[in-house]
Amino acid sequence: MNQTEPAISLAGIGKHYGHFEALKPTTLDIQPGEFFGFLGPNGAGKTTMIRIITGIIRATCGTVRISGHDISKDPDAAKRRLGYIPDRPYLYEKLTPFEYFGFVAGLYTLPGDGWKRRGEELLKRFFLWEWRNELIESFSHGMKQKTAMCAAFLHDPDIIVVDEPMVGLDPKSVKLVKDVFREMVAQGKTIFLTTHTLSVAQDLCSRIGIINRGSVIALGTMEALRTQSGSDQADLESVFLKLTEEASEEGAGERPAIQV
Amino acid sequence: MSSSLLYPNWRALVRSVEKRSPRFLALVTSGGLLTAFIVYYSLYRFLEYVGRAPMLGAVVGPMIGGLLVSKLLEMLYLALFIMIVFSSVIASFSAFYLDDEIRLLMASPVPAARIFWSRFAQMVVESSWMAAAFFLPVFLAFATAADAPTWAYLIYPLYIALFLLTPNLFGALLALSLATVFPIRQMRKVFQFLSVLVLASMVFFFRYMEPEKLLNPSYFGSVSNYILNLQNPMTKIGPSAWITSATQMLFHGDPLLSLGKMLPLLGFLGAGFALLHLLARGYYRNSWQASLEAVENQVLGLEWLRRLLIRPFRLASPEFRVIAEKEITVFFRDPAVFSQIFMMAAILFVYGYNLTILPLKELPSLYSGEINDTMVYFNGPFIGFILAAIAMRFVYPSISMEGRAFWAVKSSPVPANRLLQVKFILYLVPMLLLGLVMCGISNSIFSVTSSYLFWISFLNVTLMSVVITGLAIGLGTVFARFDADNPLKISGSFGGFVFMISCAAYVLNLLLLEAYPMFRLYFYRYYPVTSHGSWILIVLSFVLLTMCSIVWTVAPLIRARDTIERYEPD
Repeated sequence: MNQTEPAISLAGIGKHYGHFEALKPTTLDIQPGEFFGFLGPNGAGKTTMIRIITGIIRATCGTVRISGHDISKDPDAAKRRLGYIPDRPYLYEKLTPFEYFGFVAGLYTLPGDGWKRRGEELLKRFFLWEWRNELIESFSHGMKQKTAMCAAFLHDPDIIVVDEPMVGLDPKSVKLVKDVFREMVAQGKTIFLTTHTLSVAQDLCSRIGIINRGSVIALGTMEALRTQSGSDQADLESVFLKLTEEASEEGAGERPAIQV
Repeated sequence: MSSSLLYPNWRALVRSVEKRSPRFLALVTSGGLLTAFIVYYSLYRFLEYVGRAPMLGAVVGPMIGGLLVSKLLEMLYLALFIMIVFSSVIASFSAFYLDDEIRLLMASPVPAARIFWSRFAQMVVESSWMAAAFFLPVFLAFATAADAPTWAYLIYPLYIALFLLTPNLFGALLALSLATVFPIRQMRKVFQFLSVLVLASMVFFFRYMEPEKLLNPSYFGSVSNYILNLQNPMTKIGPSAWITSATQMLFHGDPLLSLGKMLPLLGFLGAGFALLHLLARGYYRNSWQASLEAVENQVLGLEWLRRLLIRPFRLASPEFRVIAEKEITVFFRDPAVFSQIFMMAAILFVYGYNLTILPLKELPSLYSGEINDTMVYFNGPFIGFILAAIAMRFVYPSISMEGRAFWAVKSSPVPANRLLQVKFILYLVPMLLLGLVMCGISNSIFSVTSSYLFWISFLNVTLMSVVITGLAIGLGTVFARFDADNPLKISGSFGGFVFMISCAAYVLNLLLLEAYPMFRLYFYRYYPVTSHGSWILIVLSFVLLTMCSIVWTVAPLIRARDTIERYEPD
């Protein structure tokens, strides 16, 4: 990875659906090694943002750079650096986890059989090894979610983009995922995470952004957010509720979006 | 009423029409109407000629000709009946048991029978609308050939609608009965059973009809025996026999007698609906609950074949290899695959069987070569139709069957172009092989003598395979339904209809562009081409054909690429 470039750089990205502005022009840089949490109420624009970052959908305006590579002009280089875990783990149900890993390895043109060894390690780590030869269609939601995570880590990406990772996971798996994320950040990887589980964001994230009605209304460390909300001792939940309620009362359109 | 449960489906249908541009809708409608008119008019002329049978004289000709037309009508009704029974069984499993929204409905206080009937209405539309759209101009051609009064055309669609309900009733009854006997989770067994059933019914159907006898009166001891045989209905009782009699009376302008002939069908429908209602009330909820049990691990017995087929792709580039492996694996692990394969085998069987019963050897030797050779030319569109039908079932749903897991490809470095290239090449190979084999076999049966026609038939099949595959992948992407849970639902959608219309339009395009070379190089072959003008026209025809074929293949693939790039998952 080019260490002089931000891991994720968003320059004025916005998204319109007809007349509806799902995401107002937003500028934001995530630095390498940063654990960034992106919070917001339902329909605020979090998933839209994540899909633009991963190149699944196109922004109406602005550019996305992944480690310096423009995702619309050089999608190959940009996407190779990304690992994406979606909010709903839709997978190829007629494949076994190992066959699915083989498929993903081919899409990312991973050389040799190295992915098999890594796949085995990941399946063991996520307690899925004994299910390796079962079809994914017989998995529970949580097992599918963990399979999607393993697949996203298979090509050892520098940047992980995660949309609601804890939905459907049991407490043991939640702890496991938190540990895995912490280890990755310790290794210098970047994580961009959206979640409604505010305690997870508070525990893990070094910086947090809050989006409401398509605008980033707050951005900074936990301390900075407390200061912005004017509640020095509050936890993230109180800060989040205060900031989003204020923004809703003022009208998101009138409040200028924060650009960093 | 069950109709309120259909409101979401109705809104989805309206939205799918509204989101299309008016220009596109106008193009599809006019293309569909034009194709329908061509089918209607050419069949009408054919039936009008067969009905008169002028070669048999002014007295015997219309008598035997009229009987032959009636027989053909009955055959079509029977074929349509069998086709829809099979489609409706598969659609029933999806509509009654596998669709996700049933969970929500079953959790509501709505009675199970009411849910069942709303699903039944949806299933009837899904399984029948395309067959009805394609068969309607065919049946109307019979009406015109019989010189039916104007009011008969107004009543006839109602007859067709009532008739179409009968195979759906059978299908629903069969599905409900199978679901109470087999656990739905063992879909493999259900579909294996159905596959055997459809094959057996096809064999029975053709052995029972003995269509070869209709073409050759020498099978019978005398003309009177032949006429008697024609007068006998193929099935004494049954929906197709009832509707045939009622239709004939309607076309001859006798509404009362026609209504009388419809009574058994109406009684049958009434009894069938009552039985289905009782079954639905008694067993539907229980069988649906049983279907929720954990699915068995359906790594099927065809694993050895899957492994064999994916082996050659080890030499391909990584993304080609894994996409090919995934396609083959998913295909062989889909429990519906058996029924799909058997359905296609049945179509090939009917095609091959029809070729073998053609009385080619009995033609006078003076004309036999000429007729056989000409048939090779007109056999091309038949092969095209079979390839299109197969592509509609297997190739067209290819992108839609990626389903909601498509995000995995979309977020990967594999560009849309590459994905489409891989799918195109992957499906082109079997399509081309199948087309060439069918062409080779039919050429050998026809004992084609003209080398020009021999090679042109292979060229046509090659071009058709390429274009049909391109259209199937391209339009299958443009009209992709990532939410659909089975290939039947995908191919039976509006996009599937556009695909079939497009295939028909291309075949027409091909025949028209080859008309001049065919005329000059075959029918006028004893007068060698000497003028530059003729050569220029011949070369121009083939250049135009090549260019058109490229456009027909590439244009939908370009649209498909744009669609994938713009695609936004739910």
